[in-house]
This record gives sequence, structure tokens and C-alpha cells, in this order.
Amino acid sequence: MTRPLRIGLLRLSDSAPVMLAHNAGLFAQYGLRTELVVSPSWANIADGMVWKTLDAAIMFAPLAMMTSLGRRGHMPALKPLATLSYGGNTVILRGTNPLMGQWPTGDKGREAFETWRTTIGRRPRLSVVHMYSTHFLILKRFLLSIGVNMEQDIEIQVMPPPDIISALMNGTIDGGCVGPPWGTEACLQNLAFLAGGSQTVMPRHIEKQFVVSQGASQNQDVCKAIINALNDAMIFLRNAENRQTVAHDLAAPLEEKGLNLPEAATLKTLSGEGFTEKTHYIHGHTEVGNVAWMLDDMQGLGWITEKEHGFLEEKWNAPLLF
Amino acid sequence: MDKYPAPSPMRTPIKVLVADENPGRAKALSDTLLADPSLDVQSVPIGMSLIEAVHQYYPDVVLVDMARADRDALDSVRALSVPALERPIALFVDEDDVDLMETAFDTGVCSYNVLDAPPDDVKPLLRAAIALYARFQRTRAELSAAQQEIEERRIIDQAKKLFMKNEKTNETQAYRWFRGRAMQTSQRIVTVATQYLAAQQKSDTP
Repeated sequence: MTRPLRIGLLRLSDSAPVMLAHNAGLFAQYGLRTELVVSPSWANIADGMVWKTLDAAIMFAPLAMMTSLGRRGHMPALKPLATLSYGGNTVILRGTNPLMGQWPTGDKGREAFETWRTTIGRRPRLSVVHMYSTHFLILKRFLLSIGVNMEQDIEIQVMPPPDIISALMNGTIDGGCVGPPWGTEACLQNLAFLAGGSQTVMPRHIEKQFVVSQGASQNQDVCKAIINALNDAMIFLRNAENRQTVAHDLAAPLEEKGLNLPEAATLKTLSGEGFTEKTHYIHGHTEVGNVAWMLDDMQGLGWITEKEHGFLEEKWNAPLLF
Repeated sequence: MDKYPAPSPMRTPIKVLVADENPGRAKALSDTLLADPSLDVQSVPIGMSLIEAVHQYYPDVVLVDMARADRDALDSVRALSVPALERPIALFVDEDDVDLMETAFDTGVCSYNVLDAPPDDVKPLLRAAIALYARFQRTRAELSAAQQEIEERRIIDQAKKLFMKNEKTNETQAYRWFRGRAMQTSQRIVTVATQYLAAQQKSDTP
């Protein structure tokens, strides 16, 4: 490619594999010139993939799927090249936890919700990071598990992950489902408590994927180089001894090649210490993830048809060609 | 901007909401649009979220700066069927005019519209926004280039002063030395100056 491969990502700790591959020269080692585009919103990522301002991006599967179906007005041929992370999403609620620890399913969870709702004093406003997100599906399942109806009992608001901290502070929202490290940061700041998340709702669900545009996916050399660089990054990230370094690097300002993440919260999400939802970095080569539950839920919500369910399942479960 | 079709006597003005956190650009875009009497132009007030402004103004068209982090909320309006919005809005896309769409996203602006807004009404507005954003992009690039030039000049001056002190030469001789090194090594003078400063700093470090 004559110009750098433009990769879109958001300020999240599960962006670490791509950050590391770029900053440590791993992409370059495999002959790739890359440019990271730290985007303000998921809409920008999706539109960038549709309208060719991005060649690749870190996305959660539901958004990549809906985008590939042409839900943003144009149908791009997106390809999930690798899974980068599993789990890591937190269901957090403002105020004090009426129970010790995360909420159980069933009546006890419902009782906890009712007690908590009384302290909020209004129909709870819960945020997700995008409509077509894993977070929306996780939150819906969490609420369903405690007998709360998402359509009737709460209000949904959409906001970018880093904004959740200020929104909790000023009372705009009462909680939500958000990716790492923002939920953990909210808990560390005593703005919210952890009521559930990936681990309790759908353990080891596929979270972030490395998705490439049609142009990039048709270049086998580029795809191989990406996979190799990400594999190398994964080896580094999965070594517990490197967590402190990774958290420190991710906390650096954007102009110093970091993501300006809160360091202590990032470190906790990497280690999973203190009952925090852990972000698992695992590569697509080594483990096949499960997207069937997402597709079932998406069909149940009326986002996709049965035919689209089949199309997406086949596309997302297709083995890599190399 | 493109000539907007003259409104018929029965036609109500098109309500346009400008959502741009860059105050200068927002004003410039509003001023451009206000020149057309068939448009009713509002801007998102500072501190108000995009979704709140949409609820408040009920626009037909929202021209959105893509750098706004709260754009995601607009994506959800249609899917969530927000009760307060009787006419849900969605991202405007003209599949028959791919160039226009790519240019819009490349310059960092997009449009959300009520679902029954005809594309012929929307495209001139989007084109006006694209033209303005492109102008700001050029200005920013020119400003950035000017800042870089000033910074490079500062580095060269600093290196020359140090060279003059070390080698007891005058400014012309110092400049000739850096220019000669640049020619010999096929590098820019600023690169040679940066390397010189770095080498001096290293040798000064105990």
C-alpha cells in the first residue's frame, strides 16, 4: 500500500493490542506502515469503514455486523480478521450497593434493583456506548436475569465510554454498561458500584475484533502482516509481568502515543484483581468465539432477519484463510 | 452554497441545527446558511448535548461536526424510537452520490435528517458545510505548516548559536557549516541542526 493503513480505535484498554503493535514497531517489523486514528465516537469508526476514511478498525461485533449489512446507508464488505479481546464489560450503578458484591439473578437481584431504584428516585437512566453494541446486549440480559424490563423499567441513553464518568458525577445517568477501564474507574472514584458484567452475564464473550475493509482484506500480505504483528503483541500483553508497563503506556497522553486512560483502573482491568471485570486478550487464531448468542439476541430485538442471522453467522465463523 | 430553490408561499422554512463545537466554524456555517431566507438556522448551545438540542429544536436537518463525541446518541434515535421525537432522524446517505458522501466524511461533517426530508433539500446544505469545513481544514493545515516553519527556524537558530560559541565563528560561517553538512548527508538543515543539538546535549550530560 502506498499510504499508511489507517486503523480506527477508541480510548479503551482493549485497544492495547493495536496500540502496542503500532508503538512498538511490530506492524513495521512485518512491513506495514500504520496510522492510528483515535476516534471520538463509535459512529465515526463505523462511518470511517463505510466511507473509506479508515482501512481497518477495532469494533465490537454487533456494530461491525450491522455496518456490514448496510445499516449506515451503504454496504461495505467488512471482514473480521481477528478477535482481540473477550469480556471486560461492566454493569455499574450509581450510589450504594444494597448487597455485598455483584447481584444474583432472580428475585434477590430484583429486590436489590428495587431497593436501589428507591434511592435513585426516578426511572433509572442507564447508558450504553452505542445502540448496536455488545454492551446493549449484555445490559439487556443482565436486566432480564433480575426480571427488569429494559423497555418499560429504565431509560437507555447512548454516550461514548469516557463520558460516563462526568455523566455519573453530574447525575445525568444512573449507571450503564461500559467497557474497560471506564466502569472500573467509576467504581474506584466511588461514583458507582459493580452490579454485574461480562463475567456474570456471558462469560468470555467476544468483545473487540480487528475488522478490515474490503481493500485491505483482499491483500493477503497485508492481512498476514496484521495477524503476525497482533500475535506478537498478544504474547507481550498476556504476560502478567508486563501489565504495569502496558497500563502506564495506555495512560500516557495522546500526543505521547498513549490513550490518556486512568492508570490504576486500567491496571485493575488487566489483572482482574479486586473482583473487577478482567479484559482477556486472546487471538482469533487460538480460540473460536461464540457469536450465536449475539445474533439470536439481535434477531430477537428485530435488528436483523433470520436470513441475515444466517449470513452473519457464516461470515463471522468463517476460518481465516492463512 | 448551491442556490437553494426559492420557497413557495406555502412552504415552511427548513429547520437546520448546526452542531459544531468549534465556535468560529459554527458561526461561519450559520452565517452562510442564514443568507438563505428559506432556512431557519439554530446552533447547539455550548454545554447542551446533541440529543437534548434535537429534542428541543425539532430540526429537519442536523449538520454535525464528526469530532463531536456525542454523535453516537443520534444513531440511536431511530432504533430507540424516543417518544419525544415524533419524527425520528437518521444519518443522511446518498448512495447515488458516493463522491459527495466520501468528501463529507473526509472533511469531517455529516448530516442527520428527519426520515421524510427529500435528498434535494439536504444536499445543498451538506455541500455548503463541506465547502466550509474544507476551507477550515486548509486554514488549519496552513497554520500548522507556519507553526512548523517557526519551530524549525528556532531549532536552526539555537544550533547556530551553539556552533558559534563552540567554534568561535560568526553566524554566516555557522550557517554555511550546517548547510554543507545537510548537502553532504542529503538531509534537511533542520535535521542536521537537531542532531547537532542532541549530540551537544549528550556530551554535556555527566
